[in-house]
Amino acid sequence: MVDNKQQWKAWLYLSPAIVLLLVFTVWPIFNTVRMSFLENYKSLEAANGAVFSFGLGNFVKVLEYKRFLQCLKNTILLCVTTVPISTVLALLIAVALNSIKPLQKLLQTIFFLPYVTNSIAIGMVFAAMFNIVGSFYGTENEIIVTAGIINNVIEFFGGQHINWINYGSTYEANMFVMIVYIVWNALPFKILVLLGGLQSINRQYYDAAKVDSTPRRRVFTHITVPLLSPMLAYVIITGFIGGFKEYTSIVGIFGELMGPADDAGRLNTMVGFIYDALESNNQGRASAAALILFFIILAVTLVNNWVSKKRIHY
Amino acid sequence: MSAKAMSVMQEKDLQKTSSVQRVTQIAVRVLVYAFLIAMAIIVLFPFYWMIISSLKTLDEYRLSQPTFFPQVIMFSNYAEAFTTASLGRLFVNTMIVGVSSTLLSLIITVLSAFAFARLEFKGKELLFSALLATMMIPGELFTITNFVTVTEFGWRNTYTVLIVPFLVSVFYIFLLRQNFMQIPNELYLAAKVDGTTDFKYLWKVMVPLSLPTLISITILKMMGAWNSYMWPKLVANDAAHSMITNGLRNAFTDTTGDVNYPVQMAAVAIVSAPLFLVFIFLRKYIMAGVSRSGIKG
Amino acid sequence: MLKRIVAMLLFVAMAMTVLAACNGNTTPGTTKGEVNFKVPETGFDAETPITITFMNTMGSNLSTVLEAYIAEFEAMFPNIDVQSINGGGYDDVRDTIVTEITVGGQPNIAYCYPDHVALYNLADAVATLDDLIESQLTVTRADGTTEIIGLTAEQKDNFIEGYYTEGTSFGDGLMYTMPFSKSTEVLYYNKTFFDAHNLSVPTTWDELEAVCAKIKEIDPDSIPLGYDSESNWFITMCEQYNSPYTSATGDHFLFDNEQNHEFIKRFNDWYAKGYLTTQTLYGAYTSGLITSTNGVESYMSIGSSAGATYQRPAANSDGSYPFEVGIATVPQVDANNKKVISQGPSVCIFKKDNPQEVIASWLFVKYLTTSVDFQAEFAMASGYVPVIKSVAENEGYADFLSKANGGNYIAALSAKVCLEQADAYYTSPAFNGSSAARDQVGALLTKCLTMTGDDLDAQIKAAFEAAVDECEYNS
Repeated sequence: MVDNKQQWKAWLYLSPAIVLLLVFTVWPIFNTVRMSFLENYKSLEAANGAVFSFGLGNFVKVLEYKRFLQCLKNTILLCVTTVPISTVLALLIAVALNSIKPLQKLLQTIFFLPYVTNSIAIGMVFAAMFNIVGSFYGTENEIIVTAGIINNVIEFFGGQHINWINYGSTYEANMFVMIVYIVWNALPFKILVLLGGLQSINRQYYDAAKVDSTPRRRVFTHITVPLLSPMLAYVIITGFIGGFKEYTSIVGIFGELMGPADDAGRLNTMVGFIYDALESNNQGRASAAALILFFIILAVTLVNNWVSKKRIHY
Repeated sequence: MSAKAMSVMQEKDLQKTSSVQRVTQIAVRVLVYAFLIAMAIIVLFPFYWMIISSLKTLDEYRLSQPTFFPQVIMFSNYAEAFTTASLGRLFVNTMIVGVSSTLLSLIITVLSAFAFARLEFKGKELLFSALLATMMIPGELFTITNFVTVTEFGWRNTYTVLIVPFLVSVFYIFLLRQNFMQIPNELYLAAKVDGTTDFKYLWKVMVPLSLPTLISITILKMMGAWNSYMWPKLVANDAAHSMITNGLRNAFTDTTGDVNYPVQMAAVAIVSAPLFLVFIFLRKYIMAGVSRSGIKG
Repeated sequence: MLKRIVAMLLFVAMAMTVLAACNGNTTPGTTKGEVNFKVPETGFDAETPITITFMNTMGSNLSTVLEAYIAEFEAMFPNIDVQSINGGGYDDVRDTIVTEITVGGQPNIAYCYPDHVALYNLADAVATLDDLIESQLTVTRADGTTEIIGLTAEQKDNFIEGYYTEGTSFGDGLMYTMPFSKSTEVLYYNKTFFDAHNLSVPTTWDELEAVCAKIKEIDPDSIPLGYDSESNWFITMCEQYNSPYTSATGDHFLFDNEQNHEFIKRFNDWYAKGYLTTQTLYGAYTSGLITSTNGVESYMSIGSSAGATYQRPAANSDGSYPFEVGIATVPQVDANNKKVISQGPSVCIFKKDNPQEVIASWLFVKYLTTSVDFQAEFAMASGYVPVIKSVAENEGYADFLSKANGGNYIAALSAKVCLEQADAYYTSPAFNGSSAARDQVGALLTKCLTMTGDDLDAQIKAAFEAAVDECEYNS
């Protein structure tokens, strides 16, 4: 039952957004698609008047890449681990933060601080936490100048230090560090959104629960989570979209090598691949890779949306 | 749940529950605090690192064994940061861009989110999906095309080029739509019966009810202006429009092209301070929430 | 929703197909190998006002020096207005210019590394300097004196040869860049320790091996040598052995050869014995090892000549240093045929529709690179070394060099060593993909150092092949 007046009005409300999106988002996407179908497209050669032939060569070239599957695997693995973990943690923190009285203001303020912390500082801290400074691991010459904060803690409790990110480290250890780092990075934003969402929940539901003396856990699972579901859905969907574009966090930990010293590129991701292609001005190849990534994210988002349709209570 | 409601609940509980339950209650409390404090320390650590780094000498900063507290406290880094970079100009530019883009962006976001949440029109689902889809392509690929566009518009080295291209964020429209959809439809229908216009309903009911989310968007958008680097560098690299991050990154490169990180951190800390104060101020509004207005339900 | 999106995408794809098909099939139209800028016969027009831009990475301390010389240059040629733009770091400058080229908005002059120029040359954007350098046309300055547009024979000879020839490393024999200020790698060593134990400073890799063995005996907990840049190490070894690394023409990636396998294997053995480490392996700046005065120490460190102050230990409270640092040429394969890497920024000039802009840019570049005073002052402010030999004529610089020591004036000591090895500089070929090769060989060397096991040869071989593959994919 859509009347014409509302139609017209809706488009009016949307017009500023649509105009800007057409110019600054749709048009570049259109160009991306175009470049992906032009063989070996390089923007610099194009600027010089070169013309490129139409073809699927860029896509073939991307799929041919020896480490393509590795990039894809890393991307997906990071995504499916970090999104649930960070969402659950953020939810717990937001709910806890909302339920305490003493120290509430102080703690809330602290959870805002990451916003005013420079990203370089965040990268540096992580290096100090996991990086072992030393050489010749696993040989008789082994020298460890400093094993990093995390290892210091492990050793304090009598454990063996672990090689997290340096040469000779395992893929699992690398992944663990990346997951911790990404979750950590993602937390402040999610806490902010969920805290905002919690404030919009009608107090009456809680009052009703109180009258019925519903146990806390039931209040959480039967009132808080369902009523927060729109925001949870938001956090999860955008988390997945962002997670598939993970790249800078890996540079932050492993540098341009994108892996430990003895296995450069081990942790490369799809967007890392795109950056590499852009570096040598291979816009065509980068665009093709971006489209492949796009279809993957699209598929995941559709599933997400389908699931959330069934579960969100507006 | 507000702290007040909690404590009221607590009192009632205490009166009628046994001591075993009381112990559990306290245990839960302790756990909640322990959890929050542990997380707070983790979240706070980088901030702490930023502050101590800003007080170190360059030599100490480069040590292979990082120190947790500066051996020599270098307040002079702050003085140097002030004199090296023209912080005042950078700050004013960033404020102009940050405030105007936040305001305009909020208006556009509110209007679009309202259309998606409340109005019925053909192709709504499709359009919304298409918007979501645009987020799935890495933005780095848009740079050259957008660069050509703004150059053709003659926008180079203006505030316009720093504000307009990124006014629309699908992320925020999506976020606010989710919030708007939570507001019961009955309110809208009742308003319709009363003859309230859509526009009036939007500003008088929906916006106030979504204040926490709008504040979140404000914070994120302001931070965006504070952190933007690549785009301003490309399109507005003259001194008159330089933004804070550009000014800071470029000012402290030393002889070998390395950055003097301690001084840079000091500069970052200086420019973050006003932002932080604004956040503390806004925090009240987020936490105050909409519960008191009592319109809902 | 799924169906709609798929339908929408199909539509877009079809539209693209139609559009793209219209483009036809042609090959890129770049012309290479011939001079792309010729000085007009009328020479330089000293009347019409002209603005030229110079994009660089100078922080505030260096731009102060630059601005003073811009003022002097503008006084000589009042119709030229020079604007210096800070473009961020080197990569930022490259990315900005690559983007600007698409709208024809590139600056007139830019800081560059050879691989950046190779990239810009995809768009044929950089002006060749050959005709400018040879031009005998005269220009008149504001004070009535004249100079020729080109370089005089003395000016040419005055350039340190290895720096100057970097401008022709693009495979077509043409000159694209002028050296601006340079750095290299040098060997830093703990002079106090060397003197105390009667060690001599190694000049060859064989000597280095022996010294490392001795240091290991004296201080078993030390890492005798720290090497900063794995990439530089690999490339320098190729140059010293005269074994192929890359080529700007034909087959680009030639570094997978027996000679290179050989030296890698030797270094692997040294690493296994605990003689050395590199920045990536160590997990921190290797300078932190040599400057350390407790715990694990190193006694030699190979790093950038411009970073000398980082290789000096922290001063005691009375201003003295815990030990003296010595600086020497990096070890060689053949001490009589020295090869050291040349690094640091050059400048390139971009083609413009108005040839006067190109000439004005050239006059400015010529002024900066041949001016003894600018080169001297800039070198002292930056820690880089000047690109001309006559710089010692500048009193300030001569004074600076005379103070050279392993303590307060370590930067002067480093500069002195660099100037003394002026005939040893080399540069590698530049092409689109040369920076990828550089990164790859660095990672390759790092990986190979840590290899263990009986099938070392097979492992090294496989690693080389993988690195070449990766290079070829990315070029």
